[in-house]
Amino acid sequence: MTNTLSKLEAADFINRSFKPLPRSYGDALVEAARNDSRIVCLTADLSPPTETDLFRDTFPDRFLNVGIAEANMIGIAGGMARSGEIPFTHSFCAFSTKRCFDQITMQVAYPKLPVKIVGFLPGVATILGVSHQAIEDIAIMRTVPHMMVLEPSGPEYHAAAVKLALEHEGPVYLRLKRPEKPPEAPIEAQTLETGRGVLRREGGDVTIVAAGLEVPEALTAANQLFDEGIDASVVDMASIKPLDSELVLERAQATGAIVTAENHSIIGGLGSAVAEVLADAGVGLPFRRLGVQDTFCEGGSTAYLMEKFGLDSFSIAQAAREVVLRKG
Amino acid sequence: MTEPWKAKRNLEDLERIATRLRLHVVNMVASTGQGYVQQGLGAADIFAALYFAEATLDPANPTWPDRDRIFLTTAHNTAILYATLGERGFFDTSLLSTYVTDGSPLEINASERVGPCVEATCGSLGQGFSVAVGCALAAKRQGRHSRFYSILGDGEMQEGQIWEAAMLAGAMGLDNLCTIVDYNFLQSDGPMDKVMSLAPLEAKMESFGFEVQDVDGNDLGALLDAFGHARATKGKPSFIKANTLVGKGVSSLEGLMFHQLRFPGEVADSAKAELERKLAS
Repeated sequence: MTNTLSKLEAADFINRSFKPLPRSYGDALVEAARNDSRIVCLTADLSPPTETDLFRDTFPDRFLNVGIAEANMIGIAGGMARSGEIPFTHSFCAFSTKRCFDQITMQVAYPKLPVKIVGFLPGVATILGVSHQAIEDIAIMRTVPHMMVLEPSGPEYHAAAVKLALEHEGPVYLRLKRPEKPPEAPIEAQTLETGRGVLRREGGDVTIVAAGLEVPEALTAANQLFDEGIDASVVDMASIKPLDSELVLERAQATGAIVTAENHSIIGGLGSAVAEVLADAGVGLPFRRLGVQDTFCEGGSTAYLMEKFGLDSFSIAQAAREVVLRKG
Repeated sequence: MTEPWKAKRNLEDLERIATRLRLHVVNMVASTGQGYVQQGLGAADIFAALYFAEATLDPANPTWPDRDRIFLTTAHNTAILYATLGERGFFDTSLLSTYVTDGSPLEINASERVGPCVEATCGSLGQGFSVAVGCALAAKRQGRHSRFYSILGDGEMQEGQIWEAAMLAGAMGLDNLCTIVDYNFLQSDGPMDKVMSLAPLEAKMESFGFEVQDVDGNDLGALLDAFGHARATKGKPSFIKANTLVGKGVSSLEGLMFHQLRFPGEVADSAKAELERKLAS
């Protein structure tokens, strides 16, 4: 894991460093496949960037590269699931959802088949630009009946997400982000539960509900706020659907102010889901949604884009101060 | 090897079955006053040949894992589909009278509400073929000898996903896959070549790696021969261009190019009378 890549070899859409990256998802999928012979793996010409090269090399008979044809991949996965298999399909988030949404609804979700749709490059986090950025995927996938939507906050939760995806009998959308550089310490696998948020930090002044890439940003913001005398809770809402309504309402009661933070449009994603829970329960409180503010983005480094589109810890801390002030 | 699930038929039997299916189609569409009567009549021979002779099915056990699977990917051509499923014993034919009434599982576009005999919900055109390819791949992996039939519409082949699936099926040499295009030349906006021509279709499918046959889709003997040739073809998928005549079997309707036909009572009555005469003879 610590060696440096020095020879001339294929570059990776995600790994822009000269060090190999851990493949926490790819390892977890191979491990799951060892224990369950029904698991098969499909990709649309993106094996290394979706960490499925490991599966390809370990179980070549259970691996299919369909070529660059995502709609066909989803239909084929539907056929395989109808034949008793558990297909995991792989591409980038944008192509895994938007490009084949009709196929997902009709060939996977309506018949409630165990197809697990795995996307990488969530939200703005890619240098590849607007064509490869999925800022609408959670919104559309959340509307699909039977669909579970998971966005773990880091590689330490990837194995847990694979486990939850397999526990769910129907279709799942798994929105994953590979780390951009090798971790400094070994990854310690963490657990997740379906429909349960993880209270990553407990404080009584404000709650930040975040998912994916925004969770570490929220934790950084919470540390800044603490130095200023604001004690924030941070909820890691990896299970976006089903959502942990109970925890949202409990934290609303306990802290009286909520900020949501997501690497996605503010329309239809995690922030909307939390707002729906609050409104349905008749809870009014100071509330802010952080995310992409109904605009298209552009390619760039993740740190640059997070700052530009108001997704970084600075923006989260600012929003938290504001809602705390509004509490009066 | 005996195939107890297969309904072996001679051609004369099949002709009578096809006529019975046509009579159901007329009755079902007559009750709503408009619908896909022309396509149903045109495709009746394909359905009779496939469901009553070629495919290995067990209506008493519709989820039998080793069954052959038939995907009607033009899922709106349902009068003929439901007539066939009912006559083949997947449900009681009395259900046919509920066609397109509120609450009935027999909707215009076939969905799995009908039961597992509808192998996929295909109303959104171009999708069922990919599902058939997925099933065919899984069967190969699992060592099953089932065959996978898709009935495509000719207009449906304008969908890009059809060609994605065809490309993969050809590249993988899926010889358990047999695709029939119901070449009736009729799509929503008019004759297919006026909307967007598929020509040269046979050359296109050959170049995608398919064994291609061009047959009269209203000739039961020719259809059975084509299915037999497809079954005997190893190492590549089969494509049968079945040229059908819309309205086939009812003299007042044959060749009338209406995608959705208003079906006045008196026309329906004369059609019924003609088909009943044929059955009585």
